[in-house]
Amino acid sequence: MKPEEIRKKTNKIDRELLVLLQERMGLALRSKKFKETLCDPQQENEMLARAERLNLDLIKGTFTRRLLKTIIEETKRLQEEDRSLAAFQGEHGAYGEVAARRLVPDGAYIPCLEFIDVFRGVEDGYFDLGVVPVENSLEGAVTQVNDLLTTTDLKVIGEVKVAVSHCLLAIEATDYREIRQVFSHPQALAQCRNFLTRNKLESRPYYDTAGAAKMLARENPRAAAAIASSLCAELYDLEIIKEGIEDGASNSTRFLLVAREPHPDNGDKTSIIFTVTHEAGRLYAVLKLFADAEINLTRIASMPLRSDPGNYSFFLDFEGSDKNEKVAAVLKEMEKLTKWMKYLGSYPADKDS
Amino acid sequence: MKNLKLVARETQTGTVVKVADVEIGHDFIVIAGPCSVESEKQILDTAWAVKAAGADMLRGGAFKPRTSPYSFQGLGIQGLKILEKAKQETGLPIVTEVVDPRDVSWVAEFADVLQIGTRNMQNFSLLKEVGSAGRPVLLKRGMHSTLEEWLNCAEYILSEGNPDVILCERGIRTFETYTRNTLDLSAVPAIKELSHLPIIIDPTHSTGRISLIASMSMAAVAAGADGMIVEVHHKPQEARCDADQALSPDMFANMMTRLRPLKSFFNNLPPAPIGKKNLVKVRQK
Repeated sequence: MKPEEIRKKTNKIDRELLVLLQERMGLALRSKKFKETLCDPQQENEMLARAERLNLDLIKGTFTRRLLKTIIEETKRLQEEDRSLAAFQGEHGAYGEVAARRLVPDGAYIPCLEFIDVFRGVEDGYFDLGVVPVENSLEGAVTQVNDLLTTTDLKVIGEVKVAVSHCLLAIEATDYREIRQVFSHPQALAQCRNFLTRNKLESRPYYDTAGAAKMLARENPRAAAAIASSLCAELYDLEIIKEGIEDGASNSTRFLLVAREPHPDNGDKTSIIFTVTHEAGRLYAVLKLFADAEINLTRIASMPLRSDPGNYSFFLDFEGSDKNEKVAAVLKEMEKLTKWMKYLGSYPADKDS
Repeated sequence: MKNLKLVARETQTGTVVKVADVEIGHDFIVIAGPCSVESEKQILDTAWAVKAAGADMLRGGAFKPRTSPYSFQGLGIQGLKILEKAKQETGLPIVTEVVDPRDVSWVAEFADVLQIGTRNMQNFSLLKEVGSAGRPVLLKRGMHSTLEEWLNCAEYILSEGNPDVILCERGIRTFETYTRNTLDLSAVPAIKELSHLPIIIDPTHSTGRISLIASMSMAAVAAGADGMIVEVHHKPQEARCDADQALSPDMFANMMTRLRPLKSFFNNLPPAPIGKKNLVKVRQK
C-alpha cells in the first residue's frame, strides 16, 4: 500500500466510526423511552469488562475502557437533552429526513423501514413525532401514507413542501468519466432519465435513494454513482458531481408532521377525511358547504377504501383553523352529511411553498 | 470551398445563435473572464466585475490545453461547478473550453457554450462530439489554419446536427514576434462573405499584449465582428496562467465605456451589403 492509499483508508475508517457512533446515539435516545432510570451501573460495568477482555493486540484494555467511558458519558449527556424523536421512512439522508430537519429543527431523526413503523412508533410512544409524505407534485398521492392516516389515530400538526433536487453522488475522487452505473430508487432514476441518457449511464434500481448513497459509501462498487439528496452527500461523505439533474420541471413532495396530540395553537390550515353514502349529490353537498362559507380548498383527493371495495374516502385540506367560527360551523354541518368523518388537525401552513 | 454545404452563405440573413437572453449575430456581444478557473472567489469577483462593466457572458477554463505538461492543467469538474455557481449568482451564461471527447457530455451539463480551442480546431472526433452535444459551440480558428480549413471544421459540427456555431478569430502565426500572434481582422468581413455564421474576435490571445487589446476591440467593432472574447482577471498579477495578458476589471470597464459609443455609431450606419461575391450568388438563385 502506498502512503496515499493508507491515508485514504484511515480517513474512511474514521468516517465509518463516526457514522456508527451516530447510529449508537440514535439507539440510546430511543432506549430512553423505555427506561425509568437512565443508567444501570452494573450493566455498564459488565459491558466494559467484556470489552476489555477482547483479545485485540493493538488496543489495550485500559484504552478500551477509557474510550467506551467517554462514549457512555456523551450518550448520557445526549439523553438528558430534551430532544424530540422524529421518525421518518427511509435511510438517513432520505427526503423524509430533509423534511424532518425542516419541521423539527433540533430533533433526533430516526430512520424507519416502513411507513407503518413511523405511525405505530408514534402511536405507541416510542417516537414523539413522525414525518410522512402525502403527495408528490408529479407522482400524486402516496397511497400507503394516506391509508395509514385513515386507519391510525394520529393528528397532523405541521406540513412542509420539500423541493426534490436530485444530485449525482460519487465517492470522493471518482473520475466522472469512468462512471457507468447509477444506483437509486426507480422513481428518482425515472426523473433523471434524460440526464442518464445524455451521459450514457446505466440505471440500477435500488430500494431507496439514501440507501443507494449509503451502499455506495460502504461498498464502493466499481464505476458507480448514486442519485440522492444533497443531505446524503454530507451524511455519507460523498462528492456531488452535479446538482439538479432531474429532467424538466422540478417536483416537490409535501410532508406532514404527525403526533399523538393535536397542535396546541390555532393553525391556519386544516385536514379532514370523510366518506359519504353512495347517493347522488352527496359529495357535492359537502363541497357546497365550503363554497357557501367561502373557504378555500387546497387539496381534494379520493382513495379507494380498503375495508369497503367500491367505496371511497375523500381527503380535504382547506384554509383556516378549526377554532375559526366559520370553519367550526361547516364541520358541524358536515357531520350530518357524511357517513364517517375524521378530523386530522389544524396546523400552521408551510409559508415557503 | 465547394465542400461547404451547410456553412456557406446563400442569403443576406446570417445565423443568430441564442444563448439564454444573449443573441450572437445581432449586436456586438462581449464574453469576458479569466483564462482559467482558479478559485470560487476569483470567478465570482471577476464575474460580478465584468457584469457590472457590461459583459454578456462569462468565460473561464476548467480544462486547459497548455503548451507545457507541467503548467497548471485546470481544476476540471471542480472548475465547472464554480462556473455554474457564478452563473446562478450573476446570471451570466458560461463559455468554457472542452478538450477531450470523453468530457463533452459532462461539460455540456454545466456550460452554455462549448469552446473548441485553437489547438483542437481540427480534432475531428472532438468536433463530432460537440456536434451532437446540444449546446452552441465557439470554434476558434487554428493558429495556422486557412479560412477554408476553419469553415470545414464548422461544417463538421453542423453536419452532426448542431446549427449553433460561433466562429472566433484568435490570431494566426506570422513572422512577427512583438505580438504573440497576428490578429487577422480581414477574416471578419471575409467570413461574413463566405458564411452565415457569426464571428467574434479574441484580442487577448492574438496580441498577447494588454496595451493592444482595447485598440483591437475597437477595430473589431469597425470590421463588423459580432463580438469579442477577452481575458479579465480580478487580480491579473496573481493569475495562474496568461498573467501578463489579462485585463484588470478597471481596464476592462474603461474599454467597455469607450466601446459603447462606437457600437451605437456603427449600429446607426446604413447596413453594408454583404460581400460582392455572394450578392452574385444570391442573384443567381
